[in-house]
Amino acid sequence: MIETLRKAARSIGNPSLQAWNEGGGKVLGYPCTFVPEEIIDAAGILPYRLRGITAGTMSIGDAYFGPVICSFPKCILQLAGQGSYGFLDGAVVVNGCDSMRRLHECWRKASEDIPGTLPGFFHYMGVPHKATDYSIEWFKEELGILARSISDHFGTPVTTDSLRRSIRLFNEIRSLLSELDEMRMSETCPVTGSDAASIVLAGFAMPREEYRETLGKVMARLRKSKPVSDGKVRLMVVGSASDDADFVELVESTGAIVVSDCMCFGARSFLKRVDEDADPIEALAERYLGGNLCPRMFGWYKDRLAFVRDRALRSRVDGVILQNIRFCDLHGSENGLLERDLEAEGIPCMRIEREYGPLVETGRIKMRLDAFMERIRTVGGRRS
Amino acid sequence: MRESTREYRFDWMLWSILENASRSTDGTPKEYRSLLDLVPHFSEVLDTFVRQGEPGLRFLRLIARYADMCSSANERGKLAALTTFCMATPILHAFDVVPVMLEALTVLGTVVLKRGTSEYLDYCCEVGFTETSCSAQRGSLGAFLAGGAVRPDFVVCDTPGICDTNANSFAFASAFLDVPFFQINYPPTLTDERARAYHRADFASLVSFLEERTGKRLDEERLMEVMRELARQDALASELIDLMRIRPCPVPGIYDLMLYGGRFMMSGTREYTELLESMLEVARENARLKRSGTRTGVERARGLFCYIDHYTTDARFWDWMETNEVSHLGSILFTFWNADAPYARGREEQGYTLDCSSLDAALDSLCDQMSRMPMIKQIRGPYDAPGMWLDDVLAEARLLQADFVAYIGSMGCRNSWGMNKLLVRDLERQGIPAVILFADAFDDRVASWETVTERLSEFLTVRGIIS
Ligand code: SF4
Ligand code: SF4
Repeated sequence: MIETLRKAARSIGNPSLQAWNEGGGKVLGYPCTFVPEEIIDAAGILPYRLRGITAGTMSIGDAYFGPVICSFPKCILQLAGQGSYGFLDGAVVVNGCDSMRRLHECWRKASEDIPGTLPGFFHYMGVPHKATDYSIEWFKEELGILARSISDHFGTPVTTDSLRRSIRLFNEIRSLLSELDEMRMSETCPVTGSDAASIVLAGFAMPREEYRETLGKVMARLRKSKPVSDGKVRLMVVGSASDDADFVELVESTGAIVVSDCMCFGARSFLKRVDEDADPIEALAERYLGGNLCPRMFGWYKDRLAFVRDRALRSRVDGVILQNIRFCDLHGSENGLLERDLEAEGIPCMRIEREYGPLVETGRIKMRLDAFMERIRTVGGRRS
Repeated sequence: MRESTREYRFDWMLWSILENASRSTDGTPKEYRSLLDLVPHFSEVLDTFVRQGEPGLRFLRLIARYADMCSSANERGKLAALTTFCMATPILHAFDVVPVMLEALTVLGTVVLKRGTSEYLDYCCEVGFTETSCSAQRGSLGAFLAGGAVRPDFVVCDTPGICDTNANSFAFASAFLDVPFFQINYPPTLTDERARAYHRADFASLVSFLEERTGKRLDEERLMEVMRELARQDALASELIDLMRIRPCPVPGIYDLMLYGGRFMMSGTREYTELLESMLEVARENARLKRSGTRTGVERARGLFCYIDHYTTDARFWDWMETNEVSHLGSILFTFWNADAPYARGREEQGYTLDCSSLDAALDSLCDQMSRMPMIKQIRGPYDAPGMWLDDVLAEARLLQADFVAYIGSMGCRNSWGMNKLLVRDLERQGIPAVILFADAFDDRVASWETVTERLSEFLTVRGIIS
């Protein structure tokens, strides 16, 4: 069961996606957790979170983006340009951050040179950087526009009923993943961090009904599993977008176990539920914009610090890895503040800048990890 | 940061250098020339301004006053807001708040200080900020983080939705210094009704924030006074830009810095109006004599800078332009988008009109003005969307008959580096020679000024723009 999820997490395609495709199902890609998947799902379309794993070169990404750009959107462009995203029927690009938002232009321009690489439906959505009554109102309108555009293009209406059904489905998935999250944070963590990452990541790429079934079964088994955390150094990973189970595996190869995270390909994507009783679009706008866990929501550092601190304490971690992709200033600089404030509270931190997924410099990172582990083992982990 | 750097406050140092510079010609010309020998580290930059005559001296006095306003804000009991160059300041003046602009102070430090701002740039990284972040803020932010400048009472920025790297610097400053933060956040479009309603709601919320922080009501009289002055300044700047259309361009290259620098720091003041008037006088006279604004009076080429300028130590950028007889046709920072500006002709709906007929009308028009500030207008949406970067650069290149367009920015600018290759390609397709200069406008260590000029000269020669 978990093997299916591991495979889906480590590749762009997966058998369930392929079967969906072959059955005539449509797929719509999106790069950032500020895009409500429910709207796509409500149109009967599979929401697929765009990733850059498996990109072996940057020849296309570098031709359009400049040199000082986060390699996450560059890798997405690379894969799109080399045809790996041929299964997409559409894509929604948002202004998550500056690097991400320029994917819109770079992808369009790349497709002029490499015809056929731009999906038939290509939509740009503006996401405010703050949650106030008027910005949520704006976002609500953006969601309405997205829903109408999808309906018009694909001829599959997004209705209040279909939205409510999707919201329920995604909330069920969120509940299961939140349970997984609690299990990991407990003293008797039954799953490695890399497997936990695979479980979450697969959920961005599989038809969701099927994913919910598989996830349910995996959870049933995990409820009965023995702890795998005994004697290991407990760590938490925080920072830039990281959809790389191999990275977590690398961390765990040093004798650690990753029991918690604060990342948008991890806990940040599932912790908050959508209100099932309110007007669906309103509820989605509240849920997606109302959270302030990504540093793109400028000015809420204290809330994020409280969130990270709370999770670190609840999961009894010995240390926190604060990672950012090079040129991701949002997470990079917030990691600087987190390091200052968490260390002041006796929580050891390791701050590291890295390349995105397939480009990670494993040797250098391993060396830093070993040194961090040595610090924890000799000086001690979190002082409680 | 070295002990010796910490010993003097950054803003005070700027003020004292600029204040002395602005008085350097109080004596006789002979005394001035002897003075240059006594200040070897400042003589080049000082002379860059002094040789402009009246406008150069006025500019020195203007920036000295701005540096004084910033550095003495705490002592004078004024509230200081740490803010960004693309924040329109009249609203802050209406609350008697001093706008302490990171980028403006970085430019002053880069151009004037012997070692540029490298120590302040690096200090940011010492305390946890990323080295890949934009140097335009870092160049002075380091001084604030180290406690070597006026302590801001709060942070106000209007770059979220426009430039995250910029906004992030202000968010970092607010968290690090533990002072309140307010952001104006822009949608990706400009002229549609939704965007307008959003701008207004956001602006109203800024006014409430300022009321709360200052404990005051907005000073309507002061606001109107500033706005009326601003309207005069818009008209003067428009005439100057109109003159730049003439071949040869009668406007000296350094006027570009004086126009936007003065506007960012001191818009709405009488001093800035007088500066513009003195600049116009020189430019009109050059136009009458059919002289170029370069030092020799000859124009070999006309260049438009599609983003910002290069602020290398000693103002060598403008010196290079003058020496090579290349007219500087301005940059994106040059365009503030009053609806009657020459570049807004035919696109008036993208501009703003100041309206002082009532307080509500004034606030609405200020909100329109702020949402069209340089950079705020051009890069909020896709670069090739109507009214955005490509449209504006093309329109200006045609209006001012540019022979070439060059991109210079900061290496931290994700936004422009995310689309400058596409922009340059489109410009070339439209028949406009264009070049990306790989350099950092505020940090010579990324690429030395010599490397930059070599690259630019090579481009101009290879493309047959200058022989
Ligand atoms: S880090 Fe934030 S802005 Fe970037 S992809 Fe994740 S949710 Fe979006
Ligand atoms: S990791 Fe950071 S820079 Fe990269 S896409 Fe996400 S928010 Fe943007």
